[in-house]
Amino acid sequence: MRYTFVCIGLLFGLLGYGQNRQLLYDFREIPQSNLVNPGVAIPHDWYVGVPLLSNIAINAGSNGVSVYDIFAEDGVDINDKIREKMVFGMGIKDELSGRFHIDLINFGFKSKKDPSLFFSGGMYLDGDAIGYWPADWALLGFEGNADYIGKRFDLDHIKTRGEFTNVFHFGVNKQWKPNLIVGARAKIYSGIFNFSSTNNSGYFVTTEGERNILASTLVADAIIRSSGIDELLDDANEDQIGSILTKRALFGGNLGFGVDLGFTYYLDQQTTFTASLLDLGFMYNNTDVKSFSLKGSSTVEGVEIILPDALQDPDADFWQDLIDRVEEEIPFEEKNSGYITFRPTILNASIRRDWGQIGDRVASCDCDWRTNGGGDTKTMYANAVGAHVYAINRPRGPQTAWTLFYQRNITTGFSLKATYTADKFTYTNVGVGMSLKLGPVQAYVLADNLLAYRNYADTNYASLQLGVNVLSWAK
Amino acid sequence: MRPITQNWTPTEADNMKMKRLLCMALVLPLLYLSSCTEEIDTDQWDQLRVAPTLTASILYLESTETLINASPGNEFYAQTLGFEPFSEPYVAERLVEGSITYELENTTSKPLSITLEYLDADGNVLDTELFVVPAQPTPVLVREVNYGTTGKPLSILLNTTEIRVSALNLGDNSSVSPEPDPKVKFRTAAEFTINLKEG
Repeated sequence: MRYTFVCIGLLFGLLGYGQNRQLLYDFREIPQSNLVNPGVAIPHDWYVGVPLLSNIAINAGSNGVSVYDIFAEDGVDINDKIREKMVFGMGIKDELSGRFHIDLINFGFKSKKDPSLFFSGGMYLDGDAIGYWPADWALLGFEGNADYIGKRFDLDHIKTRGEFTNVFHFGVNKQWKPNLIVGARAKIYSGIFNFSSTNNSGYFVTTEGERNILASTLVADAIIRSSGIDELLDDANEDQIGSILTKRALFGGNLGFGVDLGFTYYLDQQTTFTASLLDLGFMYNNTDVKSFSLKGSSTVEGVEIILPDALQDPDADFWQDLIDRVEEEIPFEEKNSGYITFRPTILNASIRRDWGQIGDRVASCDCDWRTNGGGDTKTMYANAVGAHVYAINRPRGPQTAWTLFYQRNITTGFSLKATYTADKFTYTNVGVGMSLKLGPVQAYVLADNLLAYRNYADTNYASLQLGVNVLSWAK
Repeated sequence: MRPITQNWTPTEADNMKMKRLLCMALVLPLLYLSSCTEEIDTDQWDQLRVAPTLTASILYLESTETLINASPGNEFYAQTLGFEPFSEPYVAERLVEGSITYELENTTSKPLSITLEYLDADGNVLDTELFVVPAQPTPVLVREVNYGTTGKPLSILLNTTEIRVSALNLGDNSSVSPEPDPKVKFRTAAEFTINLKEG
């Protein structure tokens, strides 16, 4: 069981990528759009997410290779496919990564004292991991160094990080001005586990030796750190996995703090500019920490016996001396001290143009639906079109995604949204989302990369979000 | 275009439309989750073979002519060295084949021989390599010995825990080579394939 859990936790990061939630972003009819922009325009008086079901988001993909590329029944030897498409076909910017997000509790309500304020809060599980393709080390692993004399196998190619966290959050969204909504959310991260190896440098190279036939050189400044994993893998804890996870999820593990910021600005009645900065925060990992480091440099040309010097110590153990020298020159150290990791900060921004025949106001009164009076800016339109840009801070620098979207509000309770997104994973990501409200119950489903429907195994990216809420539209 | 309003009262046609939309809303996620997948065969994984070929130097022996001349008798060096790279469990379990390349360079004024004996943990001789080179001028003696399916038994490498090196002077103890800094240099490097995943 624990292996299953730990493997799921670790492997979700090896199966896909995708924190971009372009379908959810500024989809105002869905309360959880507040999670990706705390300054979003919220057309509800209150909402309560159905526990565990208000927002389930799973993203998976890989920009380098698809399952179909490797496992297609095409008569080609899998060894040839892996060599061609992965070992020699992928580079260090190709990644295998992913994320999941499950809302445990999610609620929001408008302040009775000040209707310009909307409070929201909750708790969600968040898992995120990324592993870049370690091109040189994959080559070394598959081919070896015999045919690569002189090639440096770069330790910088090893870059990975991931974590599994329970997030407690509380935010406020305020109609600051008639044309400006701002929002902020505080987050406390209760970490369950973390692993990180992102700042490695050095190389391994085999060259012609000065004395012997070959010289093997390792220059290393590498570290891999983990927190919370060893305890989960320990056989002695097999029956306590549930309690360990629960304890860590409820402030008994790693702790961190972060904020989300966002705003919606109405350039005019029908044009909106929004932006948000998410997970600006850090985590202090001090639970069950294991850090392994390798730092130094050493060149060996095998056991060397230089006469007459070697005769000075007739009892010398040359083989052991060689091992000792390497271990001294490149010490391998294990530490248990805590370490800080920064959350993968996300930036969103969008421009949106609403149009269509301007209907009656959403509210039955002739008033602003948020503030009981104000401008004309909060009218709900039948159509919206716009663009959205997304960027996330990653170990190899920011990654971006660019989205064009069209939203159609068929009724106040039924909305559709279509997106086209281009990013490093695909240029053909077409997504569709819908929000449906029946009475006080609102359900939504958002699905990405629908063109992959033709052959799902051949997709490089997939994302699915769904949720159910109980809510009340603003009166 | 119908305006969006909270006070909207649906007609019969609207109700029908809503029902159709509701059906779509329910069916689309199921379609998405059960979307088309062309036939794949994950059993191919079993055929994947990962067997890198690694190479590194093993042993280097160097001696000056002065030492050779100064050594009484013929043997100017003899030593038993611990040597366990191939008998380490991780390597031993995965070693598929290998080869060892030897180079013997002699710029001294006398013929020489170097003998390598591969010994197991009980001191038994598993294999012997004898190299004899004439006095300078002589080209570098190069020998490649294969182990595994196309050469000597792999068990020699797998069971070797020590190497006994002995070097003999087959000439006199007084001549001096006209070469600058005359020496004998014995170089070795191994190339071996290990099976990280069997196909």
